Amino acid sequence: MSEKRRTSIFHKINSRDSMKINLKKVGRYLAAIFIIFSLNFFIPRFMPGDPVTNLLGEDVIITEEALHELKAKMGLDKPLYFQYLDYWNNVFHFDFGYSYHFKGTVTSILLSRIKWTLLLLIPSIFLSAIFGSLFGSLSGWKSSKVSSKSLTLIELAFYSTPTFFLSLLTLYIFSFKLGLFPIKGFYNSGGILDILHHFFLPVCIMTLFLTSRNYMIMRGSVIQEKSKLYVVYAKAKGLSENQVLFRHIFKNASLPLLTLLALDFGFILSGALFIEIIFSMNGMGNLIYEAILSRDYPILYGSFMIISIMVIFANAFVDIIYSLIDPRIGDR
Amino acid sequence: MTHHLEEMKKYVIEKTNLNFVGISLFLVFLILSLFAEFISPYSPWDRFEPYSSPSATHILGTNDIGNDILSELIYGTRVSLIVGFGASMIATLLGIIIGLLSGYYRGLTDEILMAITDIFLMIPRIPLIIILAALLRPSFWIIMLLIGFLWWPTTARVVRSSTLQLRDASFVLSSKSIGFSDNKILLSDILPNIVYVIIPKFMLTIASAMFSEASISFLGLGDPSMKSWGMMLNFAFMKGGLINEMWWWYLPPGFCIVAVVFSLMLIGFSLEEKENIVMGLE
Repeated sequence: MSEKRRTSIFHKINSRDSMKINLKKVGRYLAAIFIIFSLNFFIPRFMPGDPVTNLLGEDVIITEEALHELKAKMGLDKPLYFQYLDYWNNVFHFDFGYSYHFKGTVTSILLSRIKWTLLLLIPSIFLSAIFGSLFGSLSGWKSSKVSSKSLTLIELAFYSTPTFFLSLLTLYIFSFKLGLFPIKGFYNSGGILDILHHFFLPVCIMTLFLTSRNYMIMRGSVIQEKSKLYVVYAKAKGLSENQVLFRHIFKNASLPLLTLLALDFGFILSGALFIEIIFSMNGMGNLIYEAILSRDYPILYGSFMIISIMVIFANAFVDIIYSLIDPRIGDR
Repeated sequence: MTHHLEEMKKYVIEKTNLNFVGISLFLVFLILSLFAEFISPYSPWDRFEPYSSPSATHILGTNDIGNDILSELIYGTRVSLIVGFGASMIATLLGIIIGLLSGYYRGLTDEILMAITDIFLMIPRIPLIIILAALLRPSFWIIMLLIGFLWWPTTARVVRSSTLQLRDASFVLSSKSIGFSDNKILLSDILPNIVYVIIPKFMLTIASAMFSEASISFLGLGDPSMKSWGMMLNFAFMKGGLINEMWWWYLPPGFCIVAVVFSLMLIGFSLEEKENIVMGLE
């Protein structure tokens, strides 16, 4: 009976502690959302140039009268705090404005494109996490071996290559010279085979790029872990090299990899956008590129916000995984 | 004999100092950028016959408006390196200040500064720079500033965690007990002892800044009066260099970006590995 009570007290303390920590994290995420969305409100209004142009984009040709009408309709003649509240009201209704270039609401345009970007991104993230952590940990474990050093050089070269340049190269070799893959991107036409055919090269490039990243992180992390005492103990227990690496080190060393995958999700996604531009694919990359060329700002603001939301979700997701893998982790 | 060769190869690879390879490669580009006037055959703005193939007079041919591509490439080294260095200087300085303060004072200062750092880390930087560059049509210097002000958070985190490790070290405590001011302790006790963390981070930030500048310029959002490598790639892509298979136009700037970034990463990572620092994390 007393035993039972004691455990329940411990349980209570633990859960209260982790609650506090989670609240702090949640607070940070909310603050990040608040700041990013506020940035998005203030940037078009305080940058040089006409706020109406900054908000609507330069692709809009309208008369002076219509301009006044639009200004009134958008509330630009009202005081700033009113506009700000109005802005948040719109945000809560998923209203991110209207694109005059693409002729549609920003929300619907973004939603129709984002799935293609995720289709490129998600398989690459999984594949690269597997390859990167496997090769990276093997290489970090035997870090002074020739094979490990050579592999590191190769991975570092891929890491140094901007995705758009790697895409240009592969497009030139495999599509122009060898004719193995289509030159133009995918446009909602064929079946699964067609999609695979169009996605093969882009997914390969994204995977190569991300693998090199994960490899470098994992290698550094394993090098750091392997000098710790628990490794010596595991070896002394008589475990084989592989057992020490994959049973004991791997789990600890992969934590930084997870964190960095989430933290740099925006950077990773940007890499995918550039691949989409070169391969003229149907995702967000080309949408952003077209928006830049036609100065269609609402699409750019919308993309920025949607990418920010994804980054924050990725971080929250990794926090949950973290607490599952390592129960000690609370306050980093 | 072959066995002997294999041994030799093994020996060479084992003994090769990756740091040294990185530094030499980087020095080549540094010399190109410093002495562009003397090395480059023409000015990058001189105009000749457009779209010409490589020849004796134009080793890498000319572009769509007749600029000599080799000259553009050599002068581009300067533009790309200045952006990288400048942005990294700003980012590193900011990172050092924020990291030192939050690691040394801890408590509320730490909470606030780290909250700001964490939030900054989550802002998608490339999309934000795209928006700002599209609205501002910025000059080269503004792009440098923008990158500098967005790239500091990882440095701040690394500096903070090293400062945390040092703040209770005996030599810091003895300085405190003598009565040195906090500023004095931070600058002459702590900072010199974390330089080994800052230098690799500085190198990696230059690489990352150059990478980003190339990406932004590739989208056509760079400063048109400054020909960076990213800008050259943008023109080659937009004006039909790729489709017309003019490899001499788009391959060299791409490989230059890769080579410089590679050399910096080599330096940064081999220093980090030597000192056992894992990227930006405690």
